[in-house]
Amino acid sequence: MKQNNAFMRGRLLPLLVWIFGLLVIWETVSWWLLNVARTPLAQSKLPYVHEVASTLWKYSGTLLKEGGATFGNAGVGFLIGALAGVLLAVLMSLSRTIEQLAFPYAIASQMIPVLGLAPIIYGIVRDEQVSRIIISGYITFFPVALNMLRGLRSVDPSALELMHSYAAKPWAVYWKLRFPAALPGLFSGLKIAAPLAVTGAILVELMGAQHGIGVIMLRNLYYGPSHTYMFWSTVLVGALLGMASYWLMSLAERLAAPWQPEFRPKGGGQ
Amino acid sequence: MKSSPVLDAGPAASAGKGADSIQFSSAEHPQHSPNNVNLTEPLQQNNPRRSMKLLNRGVFLPLLAGVAFLLLWEYQVFHKIFDLKKYQLPLPSAIAEAMRDNFSLLISYTGYTLAEAVLGMLIGSACGFLIALAATAWPRWGGGSLTMVAALNAVPIVALAPIMNLWFGDGIGSRAAIVTATTMAAMAINAYKGMAAVDPLALDLMHSYAAGKPAVFRYLRIRSSLPYVFTALKINATASMIGAIVGEFFFSSRGLGYLLSNSIKVAKMPLGWSCIVLAAIAGVVFYLVVERLEKVFIRWHPSRRS
Repeated sequence: MKQNNAFMRGRLLPLLVWIFGLLVIWETVSWWLLNVARTPLAQSKLPYVHEVASTLWKYSGTLLKEGGATFGNAGVGFLIGALAGVLLAVLMSLSRTIEQLAFPYAIASQMIPVLGLAPIIYGIVRDEQVSRIIISGYITFFPVALNMLRGLRSVDPSALELMHSYAAKPWAVYWKLRFPAALPGLFSGLKIAAPLAVTGAILVELMGAQHGIGVIMLRNLYYGPSHTYMFWSTVLVGALLGMASYWLMSLAERLAAPWQPEFRPKGGGQ
Repeated sequence: MKSSPVLDAGPAASAGKGADSIQFSSAEHPQHSPNNVNLTEPLQQNNPRRSMKLLNRGVFLPLLAGVAFLLLWEYQVFHKIFDLKKYQLPLPSAIAEAMRDNFSLLISYTGYTLAEAVLGMLIGSACGFLIALAATAWPRWGGGSLTMVAALNAVPIVALAPIMNLWFGDGIGSRAAIVTATTMAAMAINAYKGMAAVDPLALDLMHSYAAGKPAVFRYLRIRSSLPYVFTALKINATASMIGAIVGEFFFSSRGLGYLLSNSIKVAKMPLGWSCIVLAAIAGVVFYLVVERLEKVFIRWHPSRRS
C-alpha cells in the first residue's frame, strides 16, 4: 500500500499516462489519416507507432552502430569544447583584460547562428570526422564559458572575505570556493550544449558523410514512402541521442553538485 | 496531497545561511543573463569620471582586438597558420564585395528568414508560457507536460526539419513550425521556474487574504515570472534564427539558409559568408529588440533600478 502510494505521488505515473496518451492519440490520428481522410503520403506524415517500433527493433544493430558513431563524434567535440570553455572562463575570471577582450565576442558569437556555420566549416575542412568534432566543440564552447564565468563570479562575498582573512592563496580560493560555486553554472552550460552538440554532429552528417545516423536518415528520406518507417526510426534515434546526452549531463550534475535547491526532496518550493 | 507553499518554505528557512545563499543565487539567475553582467555593473558602481574611463577601456580593447583579427584575416595570416586556400576561407574584402553585389537579394532573404524566426518564436513562446501555467496550476499532471516539452527540446532540429516539411509543405509554415518546436521548451521551463520562485511570504500573505488560485496567478506568479520570461525570450531570439536557417538548409526556395547551403555547393564561399554575416546582424537586431522590450516591461524589477 505504502509503495503504491509513493508511486502515485511520484512523477512517474503522470508521466507514464502522458506518454501512453500521446501514443494512443498518435496511433489514432495515423489510422484516421490513412483510412478516413486518405491523405497522400499518410504513413510518411504520421506512421503507425507499432510499425516504427518493429522497424526500430529489426534494424537495431545498424541503428545502434551508426548512432554510436554520431554520439562518439559529438562526445569528442563536446569534451574538447567544454574543456576550452572552462579554460577561457577561468582566464576571464583571473584577468580583467582578457575578459574585456573576450567577453563581448563571446556574447556576439552567441547571437551568430552557430549551426549555420556547419556547411562552411565542412566546406573548409572537407573531412566529416574533423568537421563534426569542430562543430560540436564550437557549439559547446560558448555556453560553457559564459555559464562557468557567471558561476565563478557568483561567489558569496562574505565567503571570499573569510578566505582573505585566512590569507588563503589564490589557488586555494579557486579550488575550495570558486570551483564548487561554479559547478551549477558549468552544468547548466553543459546541459544546454549537449543536445546541440548532437544536433551539430547530425547536421554535418547530412551534408555528406559516410557514417552516422544522419546519413541513413537522409538516405531513407530520399527513398520515399517505401522507407518511411526506417526514416522515422532514424529520427527517433536522433531524438533519443539528444535526450540521452541531456540526461547524462543531468546525472553528472546530480553526482557532482548535489547541494542545489532543485535536488532537495521538497523541490524548489512550488 | 496538495503541495503547500508553507510546508515547502520550512526546510529552506530553517536550514540557515547556507541554504539561504544558495536560494538567493538561484533566484538571481535571470538577472545575471550574460548580456548585462559585466558590462553595466562597473558603470553603476563607480563615479562618472571613472566609469567613462572604464567604458573607454571596455569598448576600445575589444574593438582593437576585432580590427586586429580582421587585419590578420585580410592579410592571410590565418591562411598560412592553418594552411588554407583563399577559396576555402575567403578574405573579408571578398565577403564585403559579395555582400555589395547581391545586396537587394540578401536583404529580401534576410527579411524572409527573420519573418519565419519571429513568427515561430511568438507561437512557440506563447505555447511554452501556457504549458508553464498549466504545470504550475496543476503540478501533478502538468509536470508531465513539462517533461515532455523538455524531451522535445532535446530532439535535434535536423530531425524535426524533414518531418515539419512533410506536415506543412515547403512554405513559411514548415520553418515556423520548426522554430516553434525549438523555442517552446526554453519558455516553458523558464516561466515555470519564475512562477515557482515566488516569495513564500508573499504566498502566505495571499493565503491569509483567502486569495484563490486565479488571484495568486494574476497578482503574484505572472509578475514574478516576467524576468524569467524575458530571459527565455532572449534565449529564443537566438535559437529561433538558428532553427529558421537550419530548416532552410533542407527544403526551401528562399531565405538565408537556402542561399548559404546553395552557395557553398557551387563554391561561392564569399556569398555563403555574407549570408552568415547578415544572419548574425539580423540575430543581434532581434535580440536587441527583445532586450529593449525587457527594459520597458520590467522596469520595476530590482535588477533594472540604478
